[in-house]
Amino acid sequence: MIAHDRRARLIAAMADAGLDTLLVYGNAWQCDYLRYAADFGSLEGQGLALVGKDGQVALYLDSPLEVDRAELDCPDVEVTYAPDLLTALDAKLDQLRNHSIGVAPRRLLPRRIAARSAELELRDATALVDRLLMDKMDCEIVAIRRAARIADEGYRVFVNAARAGRADYELIAETENFFRANGIEDNFQIIGVGGTDVKGMTPPSGRALTRGDLVTTELTPSVDGYYAQICRTLVVGEPSAEQRAAHALFRQAMEAGIAVVRDGVAAADIARAENDVFRAHGLGEYTSSKYTRVRGHGMGLFADSKPHLLETVTTRIGAGMTLIVHPNTYHPTVGYLVLGDAVLVTADGCEVLTQTRRELFSVPA
Amino acid sequence: MRRGLMRWDAAELPLDRLEARIGRLRDELELAGLDGLIVYTNIVRPSAVHYLTSFTPYWSEGLLLVPLHGRLVFATALSNRVADWIRSTNPVSEVISTPRPGALLGERLAGDGLAKRVGILEIDAMPTELFDDLSAAAPELRWADGSVAFANVRRTIDAAERRMLAQADALAVAALDQVRTAGHSEAGALAGLIERRLRLAGAEEVLIALAPDLAADTRLNRVLKPTTLSGRFAVRAAVAYKGGWVRRTRTFASDGAVARANAWFNDLISSIEPGKPIGAQIAGRLSPLLGATIGNWTVEGCVGSYPLSVVASSRQPGNTVPTAGSFGVLTVELLLERGPWIGAAPFVAGERAL
Repeated sequence: MIAHDRRARLIAAMADAGLDTLLVYGNAWQCDYLRYAADFGSLEGQGLALVGKDGQVALYLDSPLEVDRAELDCPDVEVTYAPDLLTALDAKLDQLRNHSIGVAPRRLLPRRIAARSAELELRDATALVDRLLMDKMDCEIVAIRRAARIADEGYRVFVNAARAGRADYELIAETENFFRANGIEDNFQIIGVGGTDVKGMTPPSGRALTRGDLVTTELTPSVDGYYAQICRTLVVGEPSAEQRAAHALFRQAMEAGIAVVRDGVAAADIARAENDVFRAHGLGEYTSSKYTRVRGHGMGLFADSKPHLLETVTTRIGAGMTLIVHPNTYHPTVGYLVLGDAVLVTADGCEVLTQTRRELFSVPA
Repeated sequence: MRRGLMRWDAAELPLDRLEARIGRLRDELELAGLDGLIVYTNIVRPSAVHYLTSFTPYWSEGLLLVPLHGRLVFATALSNRVADWIRSTNPVSEVISTPRPGALLGERLAGDGLAKRVGILEIDAMPTELFDDLSAAAPELRWADGSVAFANVRRTIDAAERRMLAQADALAVAALDQVRTAGHSEAGALAGLIERRLRLAGAEEVLIALAPDLAADTRLNRVLKPTTLSGRFAVRAAVAYKGGWVRRTRTFASDGAVARANAWFNDLISSIEPGKPIGAQIAGRLSPLLGATIGNWTVEGCVGSYPLSVVASSRQPGNTVPTAGSFGVLTVELLLERGPWIGAAPFVAGERAL
């Protein structure tokens, strides 16, 4: 149903833009455009799909294993195994010379296809699809709500797995077990373990948890392809006064950001509200790109969707968008700290989707 | 995205081994008349950069420049905050965080003035923005496909790579060994159990797929909804350990023919001969399995940026033969008297084991 609704919306947008055909690219890293058009979540290899104005979708995959999966997951899509993916697409595009063809996302399109842009009059339709990806339909929001709930549950599993002596990757192993057993297809997760030596989160490197460590994680499961994120921090043992104070500051910043979220504000407004709290405490330096990447971002078919919440991003926030608001950054006294909640933008504010307590968690040392 | 253990360990992958790989590549580049090679990486296409640097991105993308002389340069869109982590897993290159990796490497190449013709691994598949940035920043350079030069280096695997692959395979075998034909009823719970075992043992990445009722459908997929396992099912585990990827598929059923097929497959895997077409080798050894017929088969290898990509298959024309010392993963589908059987395992041509 969700795929049907998405495709109907895509076809309408294509018609408005005067496109006969849309060519979308995807892989396991950036699969949102392909997923939107073909409802296929890639795991290996690369895929290209052609969406016709009549709603027919032809999906080309270069992995036979992925072809099997696509046939099972996308029964209304014509799936083709194309070991030489680009040659297959070249041939298909030759047949569409009289079509008005859009491409998305253009930046990731294989060079050989993009090189035919002038000859085939390929139009960059990235912004068209971006708009659809950001503005969610009700059925998409249902999936994101479910993802947010499972993110909450996943974080409980993570906390229960954390204790002194365990290695960082073991915590993620326990979380992934829970997700796989509950039909969660994917999860973006990074972690940080330590104190002021930790400048950000990365994949696990084998570091064992020890008393006093901050353990940060950004946990992002997906349901029906839709990601929802939660960011929380725990301490191994009793938190110190400095850790509690730092966490209180981050909570104040996150709640300041969430308080600003509503239909009609700019992405920059949310970021500014978060950053102003740091500035008021003399920590404005730690809101810069030296210490933090973004102050939140969109959530949807990509774990790090547009818009990015930065003071330089003027994208209008609209009702129906889903965001994570997270003032994650380095704190000079305690190290890298994270706190973030998923929200659904409404006409007069937002609904917080994640329900995990906004506390600095503590686990046995 | 990667979320398992990612760490460079000099004891497992010594620095001099990486330097030897880079040296071999430079020899091939010179032979091909190339002044350097640009190699793309992301989580789907990590293997070439990993082979040369030990680094795999957990997210985002990057480009590695291998000049004929001098230090390698890795430019990535990953944030500067994780540059130290990148350096900890990549001991051989300069690491630069930039939103436009193509522009940065193009400027480097144009600035040094020595390079005239530079190769790009899998040039046709390079993301167009990166290529546009490269070519705009270095308009005088000529670009060529460097895939053959790179593949020449990857014809055989070295001892360090073999250790990684053997470890990945050992993890996969151990995880599948805990599966009991009659001991599991729910496919998702089984997938979680296998994945947990693999990640606790230090797997970098795990992709589990199941065919919960082989008699009904032999295609394997992720488990996304409650699914009951039948008495005949198959599990596939694709497992990465420190950049080395293997795939193991095993069929579970209580009939004796499956046990005989498993034994037959183990024997086949340990005796793949170089220089002979795989299809003929499979067919030529089928006679001990009375009544069995061969369905599809596939050989995957690692010759470019993909961890495992099809190099020979019953579905593709051609008569590709394995070369001595080459690594591959063989997947075979059989139809036995009481139902389908699927097996997959890694091999090194001409050798009995990884």
